[in-house]
Amino acid sequence: MLLALGAPGAIVLVGFFLVPLAVVAAEAFGGDGRAFARVLGDPVFWRGLIGSLMLAATAATVSLAVGAAVALHLSRLGERTRLMLQFLIALPLTFSGLIVAYGFILAFGRAGFVTMLLAEVGVDPAAFAGFIYGPAGLAFAYAYYLVPRVVMLLLPVLVNFDQAQIAAAESLGAPRWRALADVLVPQVLPTALSAWCLVAAVAFGAYGTALALVGTQVNILPLLLYSKISEGGSDFPAAAALSLVLMAACTLVMAAAEAFAASRETSGH
Amino acid sequence: MTVAVSRLTHLYPGTTLGISDVDLALGPGELVAVIGASGCGKSTLLRAIAGFLPAQAGTVTIAGVDVTGLPPRARNLGIVFQHYALFPHMTAWENVAYALKVRGIGRADRRRRAADMLALVGLADFADALPPRLSGGQQQRIALARALVFEPAALLLDEPLSALDAALRGGMRDEIRRLQQAHGISTLHVTHDQEEALSMADRVAVMDKGRLVQVAPPRELYDHPATAAIAAFVGHANLWPGRVAGDGRVATAFATLATTTRGHADGAAVTVLVRPERIFPGPPPDGVNGLEGRVVRDRFLGAVRRFDLDVAGTLVLGETSDRRTIAAVHIPPDGIQLIPAERRP
Repeated sequence: MLLALGAPGAIVLVGFFLVPLAVVAAEAFGGDGRAFARVLGDPVFWRGLIGSLMLAATAATVSLAVGAAVALHLSRLGERTRLMLQFLIALPLTFSGLIVAYGFILAFGRAGFVTMLLAEVGVDPAAFAGFIYGPAGLAFAYAYYLVPRVVMLLLPVLVNFDQAQIAAAESLGAPRWRALADVLVPQVLPTALSAWCLVAAVAFGAYGTALALVGTQVNILPLLLYSKISEGGSDFPAAAALSLVLMAACTLVMAAAEAFAASRETSGH
Repeated sequence: MTVAVSRLTHLYPGTTLGISDVDLALGPGELVAVIGASGCGKSTLLRAIAGFLPAQAGTVTIAGVDVTGLPPRARNLGIVFQHYALFPHMTAWENVAYALKVRGIGRADRRRRAADMLALVGLADFADALPPRLSGGQQQRIALARALVFEPAALLLDEPLSALDAALRGGMRDEIRRLQQAHGISTLHVTHDQEEALSMADRVAVMDKGRLVQVAPPRELYDHPATAAIAAFVGHANLWPGRVAGDGRVATAFATLATTTRGHADGAAVTVLVRPERIFPGPPPDGVNGLEGRVVRDRFLGAVRRFDLDVAGTLVLGETSDRRTIAAVHIPPDGIQLIPAERRP
């Protein structure tokens, strides 16, 4: 019975993950690893890696800052209102990256609605659109669907936080800021770091929104990979090697997220 | 007085709930328990004294200083919260030493003082344990140690035993009282458990609808409640409507009883209060205040037995260790208290 229940999952895992992964690994390591040498020896790869790291860090930091503020606000609302707003906040997660990109172009593109409104108050549309179609704009677009992830991760911790602890710290002589810094922050920090890593990994590997929004103008690894396997590309071993590098980087960041989450578990919460 | 509130008022916005015109003073080393039904305002009183709720009128004085407008951190009060509110990410000693850390005391000194305090509450071996790994009773002791370590002017206890098992509660009552007396610290103890209040407090304050209705030592409160409502709230009570029927006699629906009627005019409407333990099984040896009836409910509670005796349609609640069949009871005249009926809320 257990076997029958597990079979569909196992088939999907083997057929659509392990087999393609094995093929990619075989392709990458074929030819005595020369594909890795080509990838690592290419300055475009290093610029892409730096671009990806900066994009992931920026998008994750912005998302964490916005998401933490939203989660803090939601945690103070009544359960009914909170659940309703949670539903609304989770909506962007259901949209594809292409829809997000298209929405951004309509709103913030060269002839976008917001761009035109800002032009009325003297903001240069070309300069503004340049921002949107650059790495910073990409981070901004990523934040759109990364913020809900941060909110969903942080909210349970904040809702379950016993506010009496803050009252206790204040009664023991701590000013409000210190009570928050000594009592709330250390309890939320592991989850916040874990959320940062998770959304950074998502941003690091995402390419749909980037492709639709900036084409291949911004040098990041997913777009570099895309260029290697799209119509013009022909170096499949290098693409495979790049895939493995991309996956290893995401796995490392996710491992850090897990480590932070585990540290929260062992500290007794 | 260590802690004194005068005409203290805090009503929750848009409601009539809260506290109104509360006057209460705690003497040095005194433990005052505040009791009352849910929503009577006892926790609001504690929160207003602690500074978590602003006083809309009246004053709060601590150690002779008016602290009415000051934040909680400036009031120098040790507080034990209902669910302890320990910091789960700090060890037991770090929890206890937090107030010292905030006051800028060095790590070695705070560690030593926290260790002394933990030893005092019997947790010397648990200094490095995290609170979630400890039992409810141990967490309670840490909360107490944390509230006492910085030598506050007074201690506020907000239902400190309500989260504990019944078996632990009795021991913790004694423990809290021992520590409180050892430190000679004035303590306001808010509880819904009247037995806890009566057994621990020097004085008990009864709250009803946001007001203090009686403040008295436990025995006085139990023996001479100011109103029928207080009599009903504090311990078990027989409360019968009656009328003074001449000197030394009070008429009820089922009998005329002999008791002292001093202070009550002839014909005055009263509530007759008799505690269950003052109802004795058997006919009266001197023929006074004997009642005959039929036991309609009998509850065996171990050490005592609580019974309802139907006397001419009125239930008489009694309590005895006597296990024989009961068909008659008697009430000594001094077991009867008369409460003016008009004072009944």
